[in-house]
Amino acid sequence: MSNLAVLPIILPLVSAITLIFFNSKVNISRKLTQIFSVISLLVSCYIVWKVFTDGTIILETGAWVAPYGIILVMDSLASLLILTTNLVATVCAFYAPHAGLEKKESYYFYPFFFFLITGVSGAFITGDLFNLFVFFEVLLMASYGLIVLGGGKVQLRESLKYLLINLFSSMLFVTAIAFLYAVVGTVNMAQIGERVQEVEQQGILTTIGILLFFVFATKAALFPLYYWLPKSYIVPNPVISALFGALLTKVGIYSILRVFSLIFVYKLELTHELFIWVAGLSMVFGIIGALSTNNIKLIIAYNIIPAIGFILLGIGTFTIDGISGSIYYLIHDMIIKSVLFLLVGVIVYVAGTSDLRKMGGLIHYYPVLGWLLFISAFVLAGIPPFSGFIGKLLLLKGAFASGHIAIVIIGLLTSLLILYSIMKIFIYGFWGDKQMLGNLEKKSTKGLIAPVAFLLTFSVLLGVGAEFVYPHIDSIAAYILDPQIYIDSVLKE
Amino acid sequence: MIFAVLIPLIIACFIPLLSKLKEKIHTGIFVLFVPLSIFLYFVQFLGRDFNPIRHTYNWIPSLGINFDFYLDGLSLLFALLISGIGALVVLYSIFYLSKQERLGSFYVYLLMFMTAMLGVVLSDNIFVLYTFWELTSISSFLLIGYWHFKERSRYGALKSMLITIFGGLSMFGGFILLWVVTGTTSIQEMINQVDVILDSSYLPLILGFILLGAFTKSAQFPFHIWLPDAMEAPTPVSAYLHSATMVKAGLFLIARFSSIFSGSEWFFIVVSLVGIITLCWGSYMAVRQTDLKAILAFSTISQLGMIMAMLGFGTTAAVFAAIFHILNHATFKGSLFMVAGIIDHETGTRDIRKLGGLITFLPITATLALFGTFSMAAVPLPFLNGFYSKELFFDATLHLDSTTFLAQAIPYLAVFGSIFTFVYSMYFFFGVFTGPKQLDKLPKKPHEAPIGMLLSPIVLVAGVILIGLFPNIVNAPFLLHAAQAVNPEVEFHKVAFWHGFNTPLKMSLIVIAIGIILFVTRKKWSKVYTILPGKLSLNKVYDQIVEKLDVISGAITRSYMTGSLKNYMSIILATTLIVSFVFMFITNGFTLEYDYLADVTILEVSVVIIMIIAAVATIFTNHNIAAILVLGVVGYGVAILFVVYRAPDIALTQFVIETVTVALFLLCFYHLPKLRKSTDSAGTKMTNLFISVGFGALMTMVAISAHSSNWFESISDYFVETSYKLGGGHNIVNVILVDMRGLDTLFEIAVLGIAALAIIGLIKLKKDKGAQ
Repeated sequence: MSNLAVLPIILPLVSAITLIFFNSKVNISRKLTQIFSVISLLVSCYIVWKVFTDGTIILETGAWVAPYGIILVMDSLASLLILTTNLVATVCAFYAPHAGLEKKESYYFYPFFFFLITGVSGAFITGDLFNLFVFFEVLLMASYGLIVLGGGKVQLRESLKYLLINLFSSMLFVTAIAFLYAVVGTVNMAQIGERVQEVEQQGILTTIGILLFFVFATKAALFPLYYWLPKSYIVPNPVISALFGALLTKVGIYSILRVFSLIFVYKLELTHELFIWVAGLSMVFGIIGALSTNNIKLIIAYNIIPAIGFILLGIGTFTIDGISGSIYYLIHDMIIKSVLFLLVGVIVYVAGTSDLRKMGGLIHYYPVLGWLLFISAFVLAGIPPFSGFIGKLLLLKGAFASGHIAIVIIGLLTSLLILYSIMKIFIYGFWGDKQMLGNLEKKSTKGLIAPVAFLLTFSVLLGVGAEFVYPHIDSIAAYILDPQIYIDSVLKE
Repeated sequence: MIFAVLIPLIIACFIPLLSKLKEKIHTGIFVLFVPLSIFLYFVQFLGRDFNPIRHTYNWIPSLGINFDFYLDGLSLLFALLISGIGALVVLYSIFYLSKQERLGSFYVYLLMFMTAMLGVVLSDNIFVLYTFWELTSISSFLLIGYWHFKERSRYGALKSMLITIFGGLSMFGGFILLWVVTGTTSIQEMINQVDVILDSSYLPLILGFILLGAFTKSAQFPFHIWLPDAMEAPTPVSAYLHSATMVKAGLFLIARFSSIFSGSEWFFIVVSLVGIITLCWGSYMAVRQTDLKAILAFSTISQLGMIMAMLGFGTTAAVFAAIFHILNHATFKGSLFMVAGIIDHETGTRDIRKLGGLITFLPITATLALFGTFSMAAVPLPFLNGFYSKELFFDATLHLDSTTFLAQAIPYLAVFGSIFTFVYSMYFFFGVFTGPKQLDKLPKKPHEAPIGMLLSPIVLVAGVILIGLFPNIVNAPFLLHAAQAVNPEVEFHKVAFWHGFNTPLKMSLIVIAIGIILFVTRKKWSKVYTILPGKLSLNKVYDQIVEKLDVISGAITRSYMTGSLKNYMSIILATTLIVSFVFMFITNGFTLEYDYLADVTILEVSVVIIMIIAAVATIFTNHNIAAILVLGVVGYGVAILFVVYRAPDIALTQFVIETVTVALFLLCFYHLPKLRKSTDSAGTKMTNLFISVGFGALMTMVAISAHSSNWFESISDYFVETSYKLGGGHNIVNVILVDMRGLDTLFEIAVLGIAALAIIGLIKLKKDKGAQ
């Protein structure tokens, strides 16, 4: 037992509360945000190191023993995701002051930012299903705060849909927890896992699992539950889009991974087969959405959906390659999605429009921006030697090995179209005659490019330096596939 | 060896620094040393007693992805082509590209390509091969789009990328399957497991995936359409990537895997058929072109088809001929591309209809073109290398291992394709250099190219002649090793000019005879193109696909992304509903036990009935206040139920919430719009009714089943026991809230705080904006 496990929740919470008091002093807020996020990042580095050397850190909050109290489980998977979250957050913290947030910064933008991180981190760490619900509420409420911030009419309209759909899924969530509690008499995830195993997931349990799946699938934006996503993600400014795109949907898919590897794993031929279907449909409809628009922010937003599909595919195949592929892809996508949202934010800012048909020739003014986008396109499509490749390789291998041929073909075609959808931005936005720029003034991108480039190097490193990462991911996958380890580490006595 | 592969990429990183000097020294001069030194490095391996060399450098050993460089005869042939032609192309580009161009980018892309292509041919590891393979597509994309201010360049770049990366991904799929089937990532080790692969039920899939990769890259019918559009690239690039090297990567892939796949009958059928169709279609279409580079592009397609067909034949003679032709094609086609570039450079046009009689202005170029085109046409002269490999090709078509109908037809198709090869070769040469001069149509006054620009094609033509005169100097030390790497049974055979008056020679003579007739009368029969291809155009198919992709995806997306929350909710609810019911049904989830039920009193029944009536009534009220009051009844009903079940604190909370909600609503009632009568059609209403009733039924059934599946002790007993002992409070709910599950409470409070801040932000920021 170590209090280390609670730090990733408490640090951002304290940061958020501190920043409320500096609300009107924008400069101090900015600096404090950067300092706090760097501290969180360093702490999460330390935690990862600690977890990977000494094993899972369990914290029984308030010293109420498992399974009665709320247990925080900082295992290898959670710690890596915490690290990635803090990495993305730090980059956003350095990007935000230049992002043209204007007045928003003095209306609790930074507190919301940290509340969001609190909720996300909590969702990754908690070992308690009801507590997971609470952290979902925290991150959703923070996201409502961010999404309505300084809202015009359009923004409020889209926020309302976002809010109502999420509210519905929260209601369903808490109801499903109640059902599950009625059957197994506990909300501790390890104990639920143990008890579901004991009765071999018989009777109504699978149906309750499916209800939970739909709750998480709504948050994760899987087919056909993602309606709220595209329009609501593009309305706010790029920092918010990046945080949403990188973190919110990932919490949903992470929860699916957890719940359907720890608890509901005794009817794989039903539940996980469903996932493969949903994964394929998400890929197809997501990429169709991305191709349907000339709004470059929407292109990126739609691209969230096939990525989640890929992650779900690995969970569906439920092999060691599939799961490690999912985890690799999850981390990869958290990084590259924020890179893309931030990049597109810069592009929209310098081009003065998000309509691709009105752009052209930007490379003459902004070569670095163009090449960053170019590389990102290949990262996203899973072209080697970047991070997406490793994940995709493992996912497709897992799918092949479990005999799912059709989904691999869908996955490969989707990859091509993902590349096409981003490449369109490069070809039509950046290439072209200098005259296409018209009387566009050259704007300063100071402070915007460096954080994004910094983040993108991690995508490259995760691919080129896969040897330093993959063996760990592989061992995490082995750990995920054996729920007994988790159960024993929580309910040790 | 890793150094030889990576050095272009490393140098590429320094190019941006060098291009600052470009006003003084052409960047190409620095770059020239790179391919030259790589060429010299690989030359040392030439020789009769060459044995394959392997170097391994770890990259991701835990996934079996390592830089396994394997240099055998086949890779050596390609490595020499890549570096040798590369050096010549860089030399040529120094004179072709003026210093005003973005030389830095050009050479960075070119060097990137060099590394990529060397990587493709030297990698024994499938995934490293794939990595380099995609890198060749990417650098090709950038080079085609080099003059990206031109619409056609952007179009061509995108087209080539979509088609080649499509193939690349397909190949990747095939590689993963091979990995799954054999458990290894090394091609050589896979060759040792031929039987495992051939016996695998995945074989057709593997074959299909990998062939798609090869066919797209090597511009085989029907994927050839990207190559003519790739001609938008600067001519040195066309000579290098789109004729001599990159487009041969597909051939390389087939050659590499042919010792595995040649055991499959399908391999012969598909590869030969596609190859021979490509040969015929490419040469047939080349005659129709008017742009010099387009003629050469279709000619390249056709020649690639011919080599592909030979690899498909798989016989020892065919394999040797294929290898031989890979080399020969690189020499004569490379020189012809450079000639086309010179003509373009010196006259300002590549339109063959405007050109003519240039022999007097560009005598040296004309001479070079003469050798190039005649070698391509396989005119039987002892100093033209093209003739030798063409003879071997004809010979190979006559000795196939197969007796299928296809095998019978191949010799005729070979002759057919070769006739058109002859025609377009003549068309190219005589159309440009003889005939009436049309100087007034030329943008520039034509004159001979500077010697620097002529140097590279001269070297290549020298190669044509040298190999023509002494074909055996490249045979034993070079070609034989390459051919043996493809098919180990290939034995040394002297290549000779004269074999007697045999069938292949007769075929050649038929080709020339009909070719001359067709060439002379070409104006008369050119109408045939209005019938075939006529309006059929694969380009249109591609354009349609790309365009329709946008249109259809737009239509699909708009059809469900209506922006209507009601639609979204009904789809979300309906999906949840249907899937959950299906799962409940197949897992036999519904259970009903009467053991744990309490007695039902008249009070509960009447409360519930009132609630139901109220809930139904909300749907039918058309007035805001009425709706909220009726809804309030439901809430208070729940509160009463809590009282009945002896949960006074929860009941109290519920009462407070209901009261506050109703009060709040009444406060803002004034600002709300009036409820409108629903205008939905009866069908929609029915669907909505079905969904809502269904969802209610689902929740009820799950709740009943959950309650009936009381298999475990609840942890709540522990709370009862320890509430006072450990928590120090008699009120269990309080102890749970502030102690046992204090973390939940802390963050629920945080949620309230965030909500408050959000509301402040919402109101105040809007006010601020209003003030402005």
